[in-house]
This record gives sequence, C-alpha cells and structure tokens, in this order.
Amino acid sequence: MNLSSLADEARLAFATLGDRATDIVNPTVRLGVTGLARAGKTVFITALVHNLVHGGRLPVFRAYATGRVTGARLEPQPDDDVPRFDYEDHVRALVEDRIWPDSTRRISELRLSIAYESASFLRQRLGSGTLNLDIVDYPGEWLLDLPLLTKDYAAWSREAIALARRPGRPPAAAAFLARAEAANAAAAEDEAVARELAVLFTDYLRACRADEHALSTLPPGRFLMPGDLDGSPALTFCPLPGEVGDAPSGSLARMMARRYEAYKSVVVKPFFRDHFARLDRQIVLVDALNALNAGPAAVADLSAALTEILGSYRPGATSWLGSLFTRRIDRILIGATKADHLHHADHDRLERILGHLLAPAIARAEEAGARVEIAALASVRATREGVVTAGNQKLPSIIGTPLAGELFEGEIFDGRTEIAFFPGDLPRNPGAALEGVDSTSERAPPLRFVRFRPPALERTAEGMKLSLPHIRLDRALEFLVGDRLA
Amino acid sequence: MTVETPRRPAAFRLDRIRVTDDPDAALRPSDQPVVLTEPDDEPVPVVLPKLRRRMRWSDILFSALGVLVSLGIGLAIDRLIRDLFDRADWLGWIAVGAAACAALAVVAISVREVGGLMRLRRINRIRDDAEAASRRDDRKAARAVVRDLADLYGERAETAKGRSNLAGHADEIIDGRDLIGLAERELLASFDTAAKSLVLASAKRVTVVTAISPRAAVDVLFVLVSALRLIRQLGQLYGGRPGTLGFLRLARLVVGHLAVTGGMAAGDSLVQQVLGHGLAARLSARLGEGVINGILTARVGIAAIEVCRPLPFQSEKPPAMADFMAELARINQGKGRPIEDELGRG
Repeated sequence: MNLSSLADEARLAFATLGDRATDIVNPTVRLGVTGLARAGKTVFITALVHNLVHGGRLPVFRAYATGRVTGARLEPQPDDDVPRFDYEDHVRALVEDRIWPDSTRRISELRLSIAYESASFLRQRLGSGTLNLDIVDYPGEWLLDLPLLTKDYAAWSREAIALARRPGRPPAAAAFLARAEAANAAAAEDEAVARELAVLFTDYLRACRADEHALSTLPPGRFLMPGDLDGSPALTFCPLPGEVGDAPSGSLARMMARRYEAYKSVVVKPFFRDHFARLDRQIVLVDALNALNAGPAAVADLSAALTEILGSYRPGATSWLGSLFTRRIDRILIGATKADHLHHADHDRLERILGHLLAPAIARAEEAGARVEIAALASVRATREGVVTAGNQKLPSIIGTPLAGELFEGEIFDGRTEIAFFPGDLPRNPGAALEGVDSTSERAPPLRFVRFRPPALERTAEGMKLSLPHIRLDRALEFLVGDRLA
Repeated sequence: MTVETPRRPAAFRLDRIRVTDDPDAALRPSDQPVVLTEPDDEPVPVVLPKLRRRMRWSDILFSALGVLVSLGIGLAIDRLIRDLFDRADWLGWIAVGAAACAALAVVAISVREVGGLMRLRRINRIRDDAEAASRRDDRKAARAVVRDLADLYGERAETAKGRSNLAGHADEIIDGRDLIGLAERELLASFDTAAKSLVLASAKRVTVVTAISPRAAVDVLFVLVSALRLIRQLGQLYGGRPGTLGFLRLARLVVGHLAVTGGMAAGDSLVQQVLGHGLAARLSARLGEGVINGILTARVGIAAIEVCRPLPFQSEKPPAMADFMAELARINQGKGRPIEDELGRG
C-alpha cells in the first residue's frame, strides 16, 4: 500500500535518521499499543508499567527474571504535543477502587525508562545501560482511516454507500441514505445541506459503534472523536450516492471531495507521519471473547476489522543500513485479552481461533519479514481457577467476583459475591466460530462470558501491596522488548 | 478432557457451595456441587511400549553358561570351606565369614548399580518428556517434567532457591515451552557453569600434559583417563550417581553422541572447526598436538554435558567449542611459551 508521497517519505527518512542518532546515546523502542474499543489497551499499559515499576512477578521476561533489569521509572515523554497516558489515575482505579479504568479515546504516550545490565560484554561496556520504552496508545479505529490515503473521494463514497445499504445496519443508516438520495450531487454547493448530511452521517456511524455486539467501525474515525476540529469543514462531509466523479465544479459533490481531501491532509496524514510510521514494535489487543459471546456475525466483523488494521502496518525486517532511514515494525504481537475469563485449558483454543481469523494478514506480515505471535493474555488477572464437580461432571471453572449488574440466566450479580463460573467450551475446530448462526444454531457451542471485577490485592506483612497478577504479560514483554535488553 | 458435545455454561455462587482442597470430597455423596481450588492437574498416564523379545539361542547359551559358571564358583567356595573345616574349625569359620561378607558386598553393589542405572534412565526420561512437552507446547506435560526435575534435585541443597522459585510460579499460567525454559534457568544454570569449568579444566590439563609428556603412549593413556574421569564428574554433577555399569552406559552414550554429531558441538559452525585446527597447526608441532588433545577432551565434555543434562538446551546457550578454544589457545601463548623453550633447550 502506497500511503505516502515522495516528500513524506523523505521527511520520514530524515526523522528516522535523527531518531537513530539519538538512539546511539539514548536507545529507544517505540511500542504501539492498539486495539478496537473495549479491547483492554488502557489496562494493558497500566499493568505493564505497574509490574515493571513495582517489581511484579514476570518469570518469563528473561532480563527481568534474571535480575539484570535493575529498575524502571517513568520519565517525561519526548513528544510535547501528545497527551500523557494518565497512569496514576488508572492505577488508582484498578488497585484502590477495584474498577476497570476509563477508556481513553485519543492518542497518548508514556515513556518508561528501564535500567538494565546487558549480558553481552560489548553492550555492557559501550551501551548506556538504559532503554527508553515509549508506549504509544492509540485507538484502533484510527487505523481504519489509513486506507483512505490511497482512495479518492469517488471510490470511498461508492464503498461507504454500499456498506450503508448492507442489511442489518441500524435505522440511522436508512435516515442518512434517504436524505442523501434527496440531495443532488450535481446541485450547487450549500453549507446548510452539507452540515445536515454530515450530522446524519455521523449519527449513522455512532449508531454502528454503539451497537454492543457489532464491532465493525467505519471510517472516518475522527467523526466520533472530533476534539477541537468539531464543526470544521474537514469534518463536515459525507459520501453521496450516484456517480460523483464527474460532477461540475461548484457542485455539492465537488465540495465534499475537497473536504474529504482536507480530512486526509489534516487528520490522517499527521497521524500516519508523526506517530504511526515511527513505531518499532506493535501489540494489537483483541477482545475475542466479546465477539464469541455475540455470535458468528460479530466474529466475522471483528475478523474484517482486524485484517484491515493489520493491513495498514509496514511490517518487515530491514538491513542495518536501511534501518537508518526507514522504520519497520519487526514484531507484532496479537494479544487475545481477558484470557482470565477462561480456564487455562481453553487458552490454546482461543489462540487457535484468532490465528484462524487472521491467517491471511499474519501470512502477509510474516512474508515481509516481521515476526507475528498470538498470545492469550490477561493484563490483570481477575480470577483464579478451580474445578467444579456438579453431579458427574467436572467443569474447569474460574472463580472471581462479577461486576455489579452482570446478568447470567436471570440472576443479577451485586458485585460482592464470588462465583465459580464455567463459560462453556470453546470450539475445538477454530472454523466453527465463524460458521453461520442459521445452519448450526442447534449444535453451535453455547458460550457466555461474564465480566469480573479487578482482583483485591493482598498486602505483605509491611502493608505493601503486591503487584498485579496477570497471565502471560511477561511473555508479551519478552517477545516485544526482550531482545533489546539482551 | 476433550468432550465431543460442548458443555453448557454454568455459574455457582460460592456462598452456596463448598470450596475445598480435598479432591476426594467430590467423590463423597453430597447434594451440592463442590469446587476444588487446585487446577485439575491429573498426571498424564505414561504407557511404556512393551518390547517383545524373541527367545534366541544365543540367549539360552549364555544363560546356561552363566548358570554353570555360578554353580562352579559356588561349588568351589563350598569345597574350599569344607576343606578348611577339615583342616581346622577356626579356618572354616573365617572362610564362612568372608563368604558372607562377599555376598553382602555383591548385594550392595548390585543395588547401587541398579540404582545408578535407574537414575540415568530417569534423567533420560525427563529429557525425552521435556523435549516432547516443549515441542507440543504442552502445559500439563511441562508441569509434570518440572515436578520430576524438582524431585530429582530434591536432595541437592544448592538448588533450593531455584526449586522454591519454581514452586512459587506453580499457580501462574505459563506455557509449556516457557515453563521448561524457566526450569532450565532456575535449576540448571548453575550446574551448566560448573560443567563448563570442569570441561575447561580437564581440557587444559590434557593440553599441558600431552605437550610435555615424553611418549605417545602416555598421551593416549592420559587423554583416555581424563576423558573418562570428565564423563564421570559430569554425570555426578547433573545428578546421576552412575555406578560402574551406569558409567559404562554413560560412556557408550557419549561416544554414540560424538559419532552422531561428527564431533561437532551443537553451537559450532564449520568455520570454527577449520579455524580451530588451523590455530592448532600454526603452533609448534608438539604444542599443536597438545591443543588437539585438549580440543578432543573438550568435545568429549560437550557431548557428555548433552548426554547427562536432564533438559535439552533450549533457553540457555549450549556450550560450544568457541567457549573453550580461546582459553586453550591462551595457554599456548602465555604459559606454553616457556615450556616450549625448555623443550627446545633440553
């Protein structure tokens, strides 16, 4: 995918060269953390930082477990124009109030400085002994904007209208389509009409997103989080039905096309250039359980969105000379979050389902030379495990406190009672998760996932709180930054 | 635990059912469901393949001969004791006492030998299981391996810290491959260091001694003795207490391993092999021989480490010739020079 012009590439190359120069004295890894809404990005970053700073239990994270990491602390971040990830508030919510922290709807950044001793003689003598881990948190929906860079208005408009006409869309789609049909693309440009259409279009996007189970999010992503661009022409456009390519100048279609281009240059390109193209490592968090809960249609939606997201990366290995000028994401971890809502015996199946859904995207990234791994992980482990023996059945279950208001078979939990919960068996055949509801509804495995409260942390004798428990957070860290701490 | 028909989700409030650690509680008749807090960790049943050996004539021959020889020895002892009793009673009693002592010693030795062989077999089994578990990334099998390994090292105080660290991670969910790597790091890392220094010390000794020894026969004998001693030491280090039979078996395994790997250690490249010999050849002929012998000993040591170690090298770096080459070459540049000079003058 050719996302950028030659001039952009040149600017990127110079920026990368500058970064590499600073890397010599100040080695830095930029780790991108992304995922669709409610995938657990905030919790992942909070748990990662908390475990590293407060001496968590990370046996598989080699450099840390062998005692070569001597400390980690938060440092001022390098980019002054990006909001800081509000780590302190999120930790307080998790640890003190035992609630899941608020989700963030914008890009944010945090620099974690890890002091370590290298195991190799040369690096120990010549290296600085610290690694700066810049964690960049951004909504996965923004990635869905990236393909817009290669599309012109006519092409995008055609696709967006076709998507809105698909069956199963919320009623807001019909309202928008009706108004758009009424407006004539070739009519003279009119700000009032444009604004009315844009509002209806935004409502339609919002309705798609509000739908709890459908995970599909449509571009342009910034319409739903406008920030200070709210009401600006760059956010006041919409797709139009019919042929819009050859509309006369001064027409409504021409105005829309102009604003679409403005959106690309004001919103999409800066994100691509300033943040996205500068990542070294990437973790994509996926809440597959929510989709499995909702059924095959939601799973298909999730699969489509993730394939698109993975399609926008620039994966691949570069030679050392090439790496002076270009950055490539050489490792991508796909994390199936909330693995603590399942018994560990099912983790392998969860990973296999995700691998099955994303097989083409993973193959493409691996062909480009990037390493891709899938791990079922829980950044904060809210449950413990047990086996329920009921009658003659042995059910591998999880034990925890469900969130207040969670519902299961007519019972509403109050957020204080502990339960043992068996969520059902994940399908052994990963393809089964995608099979249509109608054909296999009889034998489709019933699955149900209840959300649990964050765990109560035990205190040591001195009154210190212990670190947050997790599942495979250490493995994720080892994969993402382990080689840089060798 | 795989069921064809998927089971329905179910929830149980903990204020209505019992939580217990006792796995037998579930078997007792009770009208309420029971939660066991321990994860269901049933040991995987190991089915040993039964070897059906056909009765062969050679077996019959050797068994029969063995019986005859045993009878002969028994008869000889019996006759001896009788003769001694004929001569003087006290001589006879001494002979009876000696025979009893000998019998006791035979029993003790065979118990120890069998124990050593079984220990070796146990280590081999652990290694095979570990290889299989990490290949399949099987959590359950890996946990069984780690438990076996902790049992094996249960009486070695120096592994106490590693064992308690491993036990501390028992409740966490760690994948099979990672768990094996963790066990390798916690339990075997210190043994690996010790093993490397054993190999290096032995190789150095061989290098120096063969460089100054007057006769080729002495060289050969010394290299042989050193290599065998090294194998025995490494076997002891990694937890086997090989008796004589076990030691012979170990030596056979090491030789077999050397034959299979063609004398190349796992971490070696062809370049190193060629360079290594080149380096040795550039030194004087005598010293070159010494270095070659040292290299040979180091190779035997590496093979022995791979045979004796209860886990395959997976997360730790396997020992390679390169680790020892530099040390051996230094002997020649530093300490070796005066020796050569002396030899030249003498």
